[in-house]
Amino acid sequence: MAAGIKTIILLSFVLALGFLLIILSCALWSNWLPLLVALTYILAPLPNSLCSRCAGADDFSADYNSAFLDFGHFMTGMMVVTGVALPLSLAHAGIIAPVACAMSIAGGGLVYGTILTYSGFFSESDEF
Amino acid sequence: MSLPRRSYDPRRVCLIPFPTLPSFLQTNKRSLGIYTSGALFAIGWWFFLDACILSSLSSRPPPSSQDPESPWDPPVVTISFADWVPGLCGTLGMIVVNLIDKQHLTEAVGFGSATFSFGGGGGGFGSDSVQWRARLFLFLGFALMAGGLAGSITVMTVKYLVPVLPPGYDYYGVANVVQNASIMLSTVLLWISQNQESEFEYNLTL
Repeated sequence: MAAGIKTIILLSFVLALGFLLIILSCALWSNWLPLLVALTYILAPLPNSLCSRCAGADDFSADYNSAFLDFGHFMTGMMVVTGVALPLSLAHAGIIAPVACAMSIAGGGLVYGTILTYSGFFSESDEF
Repeated sequence: MSLPRRSYDPRRVCLIPFPTLPSFLQTNKRSLGIYTSGALFAIGWWFFLDACILSSLSSRPPPSSQDPESPWDPPVVTISFADWVPGLCGTLGMIVVNLIDKQHLTEAVGFGSATFSFGGGGGGFGSDSVQWRARLFLFLGFALMAGGLAGSITVMTVKYLVPVLPPGYDYYGVANVVQNASIMLSTVLLWISQNQESEFEYNLTL
C-alpha cells in the first residue's frame, strides 16, 4: 500500500487547489455567491452513499429493489449539473464576472474529482 | 461440418452498422442512463431559472437612477406565474409516470383475474382492473407532460413572439420550451434505462 500514501497526498493537494480556486473566485471580486458551488459539489456524492444503504431486497418482495439506487443516481446527475449551471447562470445574469465563473467551475470539478477518486480508491464497495 | 449455433440473427439491416458502445458503458448502461436523465432534468430547470434570474434583475431599479435626464423605465414583460405553470405540469407528469409500477402495465392478467379486482371495479374493462388503472395513470402522466410542452410553446408564442417586443425577450420563451422539452426527454430516458436489465441485478443480501 505504498502507492496509497502518495495518492492521498496528491489528492489532498488537488482538493486544496480546488478550494483555492473557488475561494479566489469569490474573494477577488468580493462576491461570495460562487461558494455555493463548493457546497453543491460536496453534497453531490451524498445521495449515492445514502441510497446505496437503503437499496436491497426488502421484506415485502423477494426481488432486488433498486429504486433507491436509481433515485440516488438521478439526484447525483442533478447535483453535478447544478454545480456547473449555477455559476454559468450567475455569470449570464451579470452578478459574477465570467472569469469567476470559469474559476469556480474548475475548482468545483477538482473538488468533485477528488471525492470520486478518493472513494474509488479507498472504499470497499464499488459504489461511489 | 456443422456451423456453430448463433444466439442472434446475423442478418444486417443497416449497410453501415451502428457502432457498439464501449464495454465499460455496456455493463452499467442503466446507471449511466439515469445519471444522464437527472442531468437533463437539471439542465432544463436551470435554463428556466436563468430566465427567471434575468427577468427579476431587469425589473429591479438600479440604485443610482436619480438622474432626471435618463429615467429608469421598467421592463415591458417580466416572468410571471403563467411561465411557471408548464414546467410545474411537466414535473408533476414526470413524477406520476415514474411512480407507476411497470410490471402492472405489461402483465396480461393479475394474480388470479377474478380475485384481484378490488371492489368489482373496472367491470366493463375486462377482469384486470389494476392494469387498466396503471395505464390510465400512465396516460395522465404523459398527457401532463405533453400539456406542459404545448403550454410552454403557447406561452412563448402568445407572450413573447406575437407582441412586438424589444430584442432579448425571446430568451424567456425559448428557455421555457427548452425546459419542458428536456423534462420530457429526461422522462423518456429514465423510462428506457429503467427497463434495461442491469448486470448487478442479483445481489445477495442477507
